[in-house]
Amino acid sequence: MTAVTPAAGGGHRVLNVVRMQLINRMTFVWIPLLILGAVFVFSMVIWAMIPYGGPKYSAGAQALIWYLVAVGIQALTLSFPFSQAMSVTRREFFLGTFLTAAVSSVLLAVLCTLGGLVELATDGWGMNGWMFHLDWAWAAGPAGAALAVFAVAMLTFTAGFWGATVYKRFGGLGLAIILVGVGLVGLAALWLVGRLNAWAGVFGWIATAGIVPLSLSLLGIVLVLAATAFAMLRRLVP
Amino acid sequence: MTHVIEVDRLTKRYGDTVAVNEISFTIEKDVIYGLLGRNGAGKTTVMSILTAQNFATSGDVRVFGEQPYENARVLPRVCFVRESQRYPDDAKPPHAFATAKLFFPNWDQELCDRLVDDFQLPMNRRIKKLSRGQLSAVGVIIGLAARAEITFFDEPYLGLDAVARQTFYDRLLEDYAQHPRTVILSSHLIDEVANLIERVLVIDEGRIVMDETTDATRGRAATIVGDADAVDAFTNGREVIHSEALGRVASATVLGTLTDDDRMALTRAGLDVAPVSLQQLIVRMTQRAADERRIREGALR
Repeated sequence: MTAVTPAAGGGHRVLNVVRMQLINRMTFVWIPLLILGAVFVFSMVIWAMIPYGGPKYSAGAQALIWYLVAVGIQALTLSFPFSQAMSVTRREFFLGTFLTAAVSSVLLAVLCTLGGLVELATDGWGMNGWMFHLDWAWAAGPAGAALAVFAVAMLTFTAGFWGATVYKRFGGLGLAIILVGVGLVGLAALWLVGRLNAWAGVFGWIATAGIVPLSLSLLGIVLVLAATAFAMLRRLVP
Repeated sequence: MTHVIEVDRLTKRYGDTVAVNEISFTIEKDVIYGLLGRNGAGKTTVMSILTAQNFATSGDVRVFGEQPYENARVLPRVCFVRESQRYPDDAKPPHAFATAKLFFPNWDQELCDRLVDDFQLPMNRRIKKLSRGQLSAVGVIIGLAARAEITFFDEPYLGLDAVARQTFYDRLLEDYAQHPRTVILSSHLIDEVANLIERVLVIDEGRIVMDETTDATRGRAATIVGDADAVDAFTNGREVIHSEALGRVASATVLGTLTDDDRMALTRAGLDVAPVSLQQLIVRMTQRAADERRIREGALR
């Protein structure tokens, strides 16, 4: 048989993983838009029902964030075994999946920023209602706000993916032990800050650092989680 | 003779359990293999390791002369259809086929469409809502239409009725005739696939107990039936892999090809010869291997 020798690995197949993840546009496109749209409509209705004249805020955008955790979990538990059946290497799967998440997060960031700009222009949809434009997040302007949305979306997706990888690799007990471990590290950090009498400094930094450094530190956490997830994925059996 | 797969002293342990025990074999190009054995014999484990889905504890595996793990030169040329394959949550069969088309360079959409008709697969239902047989059909269609140079089918027929199974065998042979490729088919329905497979690999408790052409297995054993004393007299000194008796009538399955002299002796003694099907041969060989293991282990104790 004169078989077509496929191009040796590389970018082409990584992009195909993106297409695999998006082949059913439900998960990555329509459901998030539906959630965002529904939450927005609910917020409008609720704003209209509140007689208060001052600024009214909706934290509705976070609904989407929780959905992204589920997408991250499913990207591993369901898409990974399927990608293995498609003879995709673990590296191609990982890169393609994170590329998909990044593209989705960028779109979400653009959408939320556009929403914020419209809110600014219409003075909160004419009702002083604010879902996308939160003063604190917009302190560094639209680009800073977009970066924040991108960072939070990537973090939630990565957290879901990471947790599912730990679960698949080490089981429920393993995941619990690791989460307890992370909690202990957090406690130790709290203790250390208290011990050093540095609480004022920490809060001061959070308050003054602004949205950009905070977003960048979230992306730092994303990198750490993604790198450890990849290390586990390399030895994962579907 | 080209080897597309070489396995050298492959071992896989899960804790204390040895799933695959130092097995070595080679797979020739463009041959249909039957990978046969009992549940838990290690068939799925071997296929998973060959497709880099699972990891060897020790030993060496080569596919197209290379290590398959994370190897983007090797993996697109192989396709592994497993019985318990999972699909993305909201995927419908067309999504799965469109994805397979992206990743398998030899994918044949026409063949895929034809197989969908053959198996009467509902295309507008989510895969997780399909019946067991329809789910198997999705895997079978991917495996056939992918036309990978090496295709592994791990018990692909679960839930498929006899007609659908025959369709699978027919289409596999038809397409194989036009596009020769290596196929490794694991199955419990040994007699059903006996006419399909060119070589048999029998694995039992993690070891290879048989590795030969299907033709060579025919006539490798015969069952002698008749008067118990006459059967005893004939089988004396031969390798008997199974025997049973009912009153004065006994039957014994002996290994080895019967010579013309043997056949004359049998006729003189008034004994009948019955052929042994591939399934019977494998069952008896497996049972004998288990007996020998028990005796060996007993002797060690």
